[in-house]
Amino acid sequence: MTHAIEIKGLGHWFGTGELRRQILFDVDLTIAPGEIVILTGPSGSGKTTLLTLIGALRAVEQGSLTLFGRELHGASDNDRIAVRRRIGFIFQQHNLLGFLTARQNVEMALELDPAIDATERRNLATAMLAAVGLGERLDHPPAKLSGGQKQRVAVARALVGNPALVLADEPTASLDKVTGHEVATLIERLARERGASILLVTHDPRILGIADRIVAMEDGRIVDAAEHRHS
Amino acid sequence: MTPPVMLASRLAWRQLTHQPARLASAVAGVVFACLLVFMQLGFHDALFDSATSTARAIRGDIIIFSRQSETTSRTSGLPRARLMQALADPDVARVTPVYLGQVIWKNPETAVRRSIMVLGADPDSGIFALEGVSAAAERLRQRDTLLFDAQSRPEYGPIGERLARGATTVEVANRTTEVVGLFRLGASFAADGNLLTSDVNFHRLVRDRTPDMVDVGAVFLKAGADVNAVQSRLAGLLPDDIRVMPRDAFIASERAYWANSAAIGFIFLFGVAMGLVVGFVIVYQILFTDVATHLSEYATLKAMGYTDRYLLAVVFSEALMLAALGFVPGLALSWWLFGISAEATFLPMLLRPDMAASVFALIFAMCAASGAVAVRKLRDANPADMF
Repeated sequence: MTHAIEIKGLGHWFGTGELRRQILFDVDLTIAPGEIVILTGPSGSGKTTLLTLIGALRAVEQGSLTLFGRELHGASDNDRIAVRRRIGFIFQQHNLLGFLTARQNVEMALELDPAIDATERRNLATAMLAAVGLGERLDHPPAKLSGGQKQRVAVARALVGNPALVLADEPTASLDKVTGHEVATLIERLARERGASILLVTHDPRILGIADRIVAMEDGRIVDAAEHRHS
Repeated sequence: MTPPVMLASRLAWRQLTHQPARLASAVAGVVFACLLVFMQLGFHDALFDSATSTARAIRGDIIIFSRQSETTSRTSGLPRARLMQALADPDVARVTPVYLGQVIWKNPETAVRRSIMVLGADPDSGIFALEGVSAAAERLRQRDTLLFDAQSRPEYGPIGERLARGATTVEVANRTTEVVGLFRLGASFAADGNLLTSDVNFHRLVRDRTPDMVDVGAVFLKAGADVNAVQSRLAGLLPDDIRVMPRDAFIASERAYWANSAAIGFIFLFGVAMGLVVGFVIVYQILFTDVATHLSEYATLKAMGYTDRYLLAVVFSEALMLAALGFVPGLALSWWLFGISAEATFLPMLLRPDMAASVFALIFAMCAASGAVAVRKLRDANPADMF
């Protein structure tokens, strides 16, 4: 497996009949294992649609999308669910379950793997929360955490299962400047430690520095694939 | 390794217990539904128990009944000669006529008059499956004597107390009669109280009836006779104006009368349905709100790789936990209310284990149905809309 993600000639449409409208046009993109790519572009440029396709949250309609060497075009719902278990998702909102503590929320990402028993789940979640700086807040419910802390729990949840790929959509949009930068560098550090690739959609110019490469989209096409070496 | 179902129900439990006030209101809804269903079923069963109490009090292997009679509480007589004809069958040991009627009873304390059911039969026949009747046979053979049903409604007067202090004289159908003892049959929807006497005394009280017209004929068979075979022989032998039924069928037809023609069964079953609908709506509200307010969290779980089946299991676990949590206090409260209702109505309100089992099944089904409707909202949790 040479690429984490390999996309060739990807097209996508929304709507039916006369309202049917093409969102993505002939997209080509490859991301290497461990590579950190930021996807930018104006609203409506198709970057979110691309992210949902890569995240196996939508079925591929045209072209080829290979994730970890597995073709998603024509994959069944169950195949897509299996692929999703190897991806860590970070959303604009933290989307933590309010009735669970921070640690229980992180453990939810591990309960899908029957090979991990309860003790191991607990240990892994504890270690992961310590790694995001919340070792003292394991048993806090989300309501008792600040915005930045909640997003860190979400980061811990996305990364605790050692995903090969992290997909993040505007993870800093609901945070202030300092906290946003902290969370972004946290994502970067943890992903690099684990060798995970990152595809991050953002408008936030302050966090572009974490990327190996920045890809810009406009009107459903990739317009610029500039190299941006991380220092 | 913990099986996924256990993890799903643990998640359900954590979600339910996170907000104790909401949990309490959901459980209260289930308890209320339980109470409604239990009370309706209790009254329903009590009605049928009491309505068939007269039929069940009559012994015999085969019952002969007029085809025009629908129920023992309103009979058309049948000629006594039919009973004599039945004796022609070689397997018939004896036939006992039973007389049923309504008379006016005067409350000895307040002088208020009220209709009361009276049962009459030969005191030596042992026809009544009621405690204390056989022992009183000797006294019932005397003129103008009778037994009073101790479970009659209190409007007939404190007869038991009066007996204890020796005041035995009462006025029935404008005749001075003597209460010589008590028996226990119970008030029913058709009769507020009962009297029991000999066939001879019965005709002294019920003047418009002759001994030639009986209400129920009780046929006793010789040992070893086949009830169904004799029943079909008698049905062929006797004219078409009567029905010949094994005793069980007689009781069942009495029950069916109240269940169908009287529409009383429908009323109570309607009450049961209303209770279940109320419970369904309350549980559905709770579950639907849970799903609707956590849509993005559920969608996140789907994005993480949780299957629809797992999330269904979470919602269903919540439903079934609510059923179990509501049933236990519902059962306890109903048991208490049954006692109160029995005292107030003089009906045999019994909370039998089989009734508790069927209510549990109904409440379980009700909660599962609420869950089934609420999970449709889960379809709105689309992880692709999360970005």
